[in-house]
Amino acid sequence: MLFALVPALAALTLIQQIDSTVPVEKGQRLEVDLFAGDVDVKTWAKNAVRVVADPGGPGRVEIERSATALSVRTTGRRGPPSSTDITLTVPAWMALDISGVNTDITIAGARGSISAETVQGDVTAEGGEGLVSVKSVQGGVSLTGAKGRIDANSVNADVEVHRSSGEISTETVNGSIELVGTDATTLTATSVNGDLSYDGPVHAGGRYSLSTHNGDITLAMDEKTSAAVSVSTFNGEFESDFPVTLTETRKGKRFNFTLGSGSAQVTLESFQGTISLVRPGSQHHRDRDHDDDE
Amino acid sequence: MSDVWTDRLSEYLDDELPPRERAELESHLTGCAECSATLAELRRVVARAHALESTGPAGDLWPGIAARIGATPTSRTEGRRSAGAQGRFTFSLPQLLAAGIALMVLSGGSVWLLHAGSAATPVASVSPQPPADSGLGTPVSWQRRAAPRYDAAVADLERVLAEGRGRLDTTTVRVLEQNLRVIDQAIEQARRAVAADSANAYLNSHLAETMRQKLDLLRQAASLVSAAS
Repeated sequence: MLFALVPALAALTLIQQIDSTVPVEKGQRLEVDLFAGDVDVKTWAKNAVRVVADPGGPGRVEIERSATALSVRTTGRRGPPSSTDITLTVPAWMALDISGVNTDITIAGARGSISAETVQGDVTAEGGEGLVSVKSVQGGVSLTGAKGRIDANSVNADVEVHRSSGEISTETVNGSIELVGTDATTLTATSVNGDLSYDGPVHAGGRYSLSTHNGDITLAMDEKTSAAVSVSTFNGEFESDFPVTLTETRKGKRFNFTLGSGSAQVTLESFQGTISLVRPGSQHHRDRDHDDDE
Repeated sequence: MSDVWTDRLSEYLDDELPPRERAELESHLTGCAECSATLAELRRVVARAHALESTGPAGDLWPGIAARIGATPTSRTEGRRSAGAQGRFTFSLPQLLAAGIALMVLSGGSVWLLHAGSAATPVASVSPQPPADSGLGTPVSWQRRAAPRYDAAVADLERVLAEGRGRLDTTTVRVLEQNLRVIDQAIEQARRAVAADSANAYLNSHLAETMRQKLDLLRQAASLVSAAS
């Protein structure tokens, strides 16, 4: 069933699967608010949004179009909305603002800004440009191919950022953070109970800060990199694939060293984990060898 | 941190030293590795503070909490401005303790100054523009009042979570509480480390950062409660 909806409010009672296509104009964003169920966003070349909703029980899917946004939300007749899986096909340029509670969010091919948040569920996003924010409380967060100002957070799971670029801020409490093939101009990665790793270029003038309480830090860095590196730990260790000459040591396990002219500022802090400098690309092989050993 | 100049480094950073003393200090810095290192640490702490991005708490919960702790900004925008533009800091060494902590806890439109445990030695004074109506005359009195404010903010947010836990999924509550325990354990370990080495700037900023993470998680929890109401 294919509907072309005129601008205005269209409230559809979920008796059977709905399949609606709504025209949109450049500049409009997509807002999705779901209580339970999965959201799957794909892209196409049309200036229209196709909404396919699979009802899991009584309730409504409301589709509303304004001058600035197309909004899709589920509502319950009494109490919270029932679980509803929604698949959306949108123009690649469209900004996405998606939130859910018991919701897995999957996005592929986006070329606009992304804001995706869930409580119980994973966020998996490919693409996104400009402001890209992906967050989950209980689930993992995986971001690939994003460009711009990136914010990737979880609370109780891992965060992965792959093949992305820009100013990156990422945080979790009880999980690891892995940035691979990623080109950060600035980077902040923070965890309490998890490992941190970054394998990507360290740019002149950039600031790179990786900090964890109870985890290891692995930074892939070419010895020809120009960076002033500050290493601090309380009860951890430091190791490096290549020799470094300390320029300053302080009481406790704190020291600095400079590579090249020291134009980038790198801060590595682990309260009780091992801080490792490795050559670019070697981390992947180490992980694989470690997995093989297990 | 053993000579007469260490207590003047923050004034030097703030460009508040008279020209003659400034020249003397600069001359001293050329021959004193310890003061140079301390100055570099101060610069790094200030740079990190300036790089902080304020994260606003749940909008509908924040006004009450902000009023309770005496924070003046009324909007997230103002809060961000205060954290960035008002970032004028005066440190009184020898300890960077409060400096590291306070600067890392600038957040949510409010400035909270913390110190490492109730038994901490007199800590660095930090004067990040206390609230206008606070009546805080000196950095020291501001500092003394700051730790209870942090505790009060944490207690408020914990109460919001406790009262609203029935509105959240039990699994979510369990995960939040488990992660709060993880952070509390880290805070306790960091506090013990600071107690053993109170002049260690890394340990102090790490403690502050971990405490900031607790606040952020509590704010997030309060936000979930609010959204579920």
